[in-house]
Amino acid sequence: MKYLALLTGPEDIGQSRLFWAVFVLLVVNFLAGPLWMSEFEASNVSYYLLNLPMALGLCLLWGYCGVLSFGQVAYFGIAGYLYGIIAGNMRGDPWGPLLGEVGGLAACAVVSAIFGYFMFYARVQRWIVPILTLVLALLLETFLGQTAGYQWRVGSVQLGGYNGMTGIPWFQLGDLTFFGYSFYYYVVLVVLVSYLGCRALVNSHHGKVMLAMREDPLRTELLGYDIRARQLAVFVIAGVLAGLSGLLYVQWGNYITPSQLGLVQAALPVIWVAVGGRSKLLAVAISAYALNWITYSLSSAGNQYALVIIGGLLVAVMLFFPDGIVVTLARNMNRQALARLFRRG
Amino acid sequence: MTTHSIVRTSALEKRFGGIVATQDVDLDIPEGELRCIIGPNGAGKSTLFALLCGIHAPDSGNIFLKDRDITALPSFRRVRLGLGLTFQTNRAFHELTVRQNLEAPFRLPQGGRSSTSEKRYQYALSTFGLDMTSDVPARELPHHRLQWLEIAMVLAGGPDVLLLDEPTAGLSPEETLQTARVLRHLNDDGLTIIVVEHDIAFVREVAERVTVLHQGAIFAEGTVADITAHDDVRRIYLGQA
Amino acid sequence: MEEFSLVISVAYQFGTNAAFLLLCALGLIVILGMMNIINLAHGELMMMGAYTASLSYQAGLPFPLCVAVSFLVVGFVGAVFERLVVRRFYGRELSALVVTWGISLLLSQGTLMVFGPFLPSIPIPGGSLDVGAYSLSVYWLILIAVSIAVVVALAWLYNRTTFGLHARATMQDAAMARALGVNTGRIYMLTFSLGAGLAGFSGALLAPTASIMPFMGQQFVAPAFITVVVGGAANVIAGAVGSSVLLSLVRTPVGFYLGAFLGLVALLLAALIIIRLMPNGVSAALQRWSDRRAQSH
Repeated sequence: MKYLALLTGPEDIGQSRLFWAVFVLLVVNFLAGPLWMSEFEASNVSYYLLNLPMALGLCLLWGYCGVLSFGQVAYFGIAGYLYGIIAGNMRGDPWGPLLGEVGGLAACAVVSAIFGYFMFYARVQRWIVPILTLVLALLLETFLGQTAGYQWRVGSVQLGGYNGMTGIPWFQLGDLTFFGYSFYYYVVLVVLVSYLGCRALVNSHHGKVMLAMREDPLRTELLGYDIRARQLAVFVIAGVLAGLSGLLYVQWGNYITPSQLGLVQAALPVIWVAVGGRSKLLAVAISAYALNWITYSLSSAGNQYALVIIGGLLVAVMLFFPDGIVVTLARNMNRQALARLFRRG
Repeated sequence: MTTHSIVRTSALEKRFGGIVATQDVDLDIPEGELRCIIGPNGAGKSTLFALLCGIHAPDSGNIFLKDRDITALPSFRRVRLGLGLTFQTNRAFHELTVRQNLEAPFRLPQGGRSSTSEKRYQYALSTFGLDMTSDVPARELPHHRLQWLEIAMVLAGGPDVLLLDEPTAGLSPEETLQTARVLRHLNDDGLTIIVVEHDIAFVREVAERVTVLHQGAIFAEGTVADITAHDDVRRIYLGQA
Repeated sequence: MEEFSLVISVAYQFGTNAAFLLLCALGLIVILGMMNIINLAHGELMMMGAYTASLSYQAGLPFPLCVAVSFLVVGFVGAVFERLVVRRFYGRELSALVVTWGISLLLSQGTLMVFGPFLPSIPIPGGSLDVGAYSLSVYWLILIAVSIAVVVALAWLYNRTTFGLHARATMQDAAMARALGVNTGRIYMLTFSLGAGLAGFSGALLAPTASIMPFMGQQFVAPAFITVVVGGAANVIAGAVGSSVLLSLVRTPVGFYLGAFLGLVALLLAALIIIRLMPNGVSAALQRWSDRRAQSH
C-alpha cells in the first residue's frame, strides 16, 4: 500500500483511477504490439522508446532538482562503448552481454560521481554544471573520433574512430538472445521500470527535498539537508539512466559512432525535456517518444531540415510555452470539465 | 535552579574586508529561555545570525550548541543537532504548494518527530490555520501566512532551539501579537527561542531577557524592564526607534 | 643564443595558447559578466564571423577590413537576438542557456543549407620568422598583440567611458542603476551586441587558421567554456586574462609533450580542480586577494 502511494503520489501527472486505467491500457497496447506490428515496425518503436531513460534522468535532474546537464550523451556513449568492448571481447560467452551492461552502467556511475563531486562539493554556480558536462561530452567525442586505426583496439574490439564501433553483440541472457520482438519486449520492460522507478523517486521524501533544492538550495540546506550529497545522488542516477539508453541503443543497432556524443546529439535530450515540460516525468516521456518518432521519420525520409525544425521548435517552446507543451496542456485540461473526469473518475 | 546553557558563543569575531561586523560576542542562552537580540541598524544582528546558522564562518571565537563545538560544522549539521531557523526575508518555497513546503523539512531516519516536537508542530499548524494537504501555491498566501508557514516548516523538523530573524517584518500589529502569542506558548512548552528583532513592541511582548548589540559587540544584557530603563540603551537605540 | 631562442619559442607557445583562449572566450565572458548568461550560440557567432570574413575577402576586401566588417555584422546580429529572444530570459539563467542552444542549432543548420558544407578558406597573412632553430608565425604574433590590444580597449571601455560606468553599475545592482536613471535595457542590448561582435571578431581572426565550415564553431566552444568557468563572472577582464594565462600554463606543456587532445583534457581537469579551490573563479579570488591587501595597508 505504501509502495502504491509512491506511484500514485502527487508529483507527476495523473492520480485518478481513470488515468491509471488509460495507463494500463497503453502498456497493454505496447505489450500487444507484435500482434499488429511487423518486426521492422517493432524495431522502430524500440528506437523511439530507448531514449526515454535518458530523457527521464535529465527530467529528474533539471525539472525536479534544478540542476541542468548538457552532457547526458557522455554517459550514453560511455555505457555504449564499454558494452561494446566487454561483450565484444567475450563473444561466445552467454553471460558476456550481461557483464557488459553491468560494466557500462558502473562506469557511468563512477564517472558521474567523480565529475559531480568536483562540481557539487565546490558549490559552483548553476550555469557551470551544464557547461562543464557539455565539455566532457565534447572531449569524449574528440577522443573517440581520433581512435581510427589498428592500434586503437581493446582486446579484439576496434574503437573505429569516426566510423565508430561496429558489430556490437545483441543483448543476451544465457541462451536467450534479444533481437526483433524479444528485444522490443525487453525495451518496453526497461522503459516501464525506469519510468515507474523515477515516479516512485519523485513521490518519495527525497523527491520533496529535490523540489525544495530546485527552489532554494540555501533554505533547503538550513532545513537540515546535505544538498551537495543529494544533488550528487540525483546526478549519478541521471547518469546511469543515460547509460541505460546508451546500452539499449547499441543493442538495437549493433553500432555506435562518436557523433552520438557530439554537440547536436547532446542538444536532443534537453529539447525532449524542454518541449514536453521539465517539471513532470510523464510529459517528458510523451515528448521524448513523439520527438524521436518525428526526427526518425524525417531523417529517414532524407529530410535535411530535421535539425532546423527541432532547433526552431526548442526556441519557440522556450518563448511561448516556457513550462513545456504537455505540461501546459495538462494544466489547461485540469481546469476544464474533462479534468474533473480525470481527477475523480 | 541552575539552568544549563543550550547556545553559547565565546569571543566571536567576524570582519568583512576592513570592517568589523561582530567582535568579542559572548552569548549564553540557557535552555528554555526566550531571548531577544536587538540593536540599531548595522549593530551586527544579521552577522551574528549568519554566524550562528553557519552561513558565514567566524574569523575567531567559537559557537556551542548543547555543549558541542559547532563552529566548524556546516549548516545542515547544525540543523540536525536541533537548530531551526527562519530568515529575515521570507524563504518559504514560494513556487511550491503549502503541502510540499510542509513535507520538505528534514526528518530523522527513524521517521517522525518526538512526541514533544509533534505536539508543538501540530499546535503551530492549528493556531496559524495552515492546512497540511493544501495544494495552493505558497506565493498565493498573504504575507503573514507565508511568515507563519516558514515558522511551521522549521517546527516540522523538530528543533530544540528556534532562531528567528525578524519574524514580524511586514506584519500588522494584530498579526505581530498573534505571532508573539504562539512563540510565548511554544516557549512555555520548553522550546528555547532566540529572536533577532527590530520591533520593540514585539520585544516587550515576548522577551524574558534582552541582549543589546551595538557596533558589533554586546552593549547590554538584562530583563526587558532593565533594558528599557537603561539610559545608554535609550540613547543608542530607543531614541532612534 | 641557443638558450635565447628556446626561451623565445617557449614564450611564443604560451602566448599563442593564451591568445587563442582569450580570443575564444572574450565575447562569452563579456555577456556572462553582465547578465549571468552563457551564450551557447557563441561558437556559431564565431562561425558567422569567419563566414563574413571569408565572403568579404572573396569580394576583394583587404583582410583587416574583413575583420572589422565581421565585428559589425555579428554585433548587429547579436543586437537582433537580444531584442527578439534573449531579453525575455533575464533572471532565468538555465532557460537562457537552453534557448541560446536552440539558436545555435538554427544558425549552424541554416548556414549549412544556405552556404553548403564549406567556404573557401583565407590564406594566413604574414610569413614566418626564424629565431635560431625555431620558426614563429608572424600572424600568431599579430594575434597575440591584437588580443592584448582588445583587453586594453575593453579596460578603457569599462573604466573610462559613460557606457562603462553605466555597465558596471548595472552589473552590481540593476534595480539601483535603473533608479539612478540608467537605461538598463539598452545597456543589456549593447553588452550582448558587444559580446556577439567580439565573437565575430575572434571568428574572423581565427578564420585563416581553420577550415570554414558550418560546424567550425564547435572547436572553439570547449576551450571558451573552460576559460569562462575558470575565470568566473566577478570581474570580466581580470577573469578572462587571469584564466587564459593560467590555463595556457597548463595546456602548453601538456599539449607539447602529449599532443593537442590531451592538452584539452588537461584544461578540463585543471578547470575542475581550480573551481574546487576557487568556486567563483579566478576573478573572485583576485578580488578577494586585492581586498585583503587593501585591508592590511
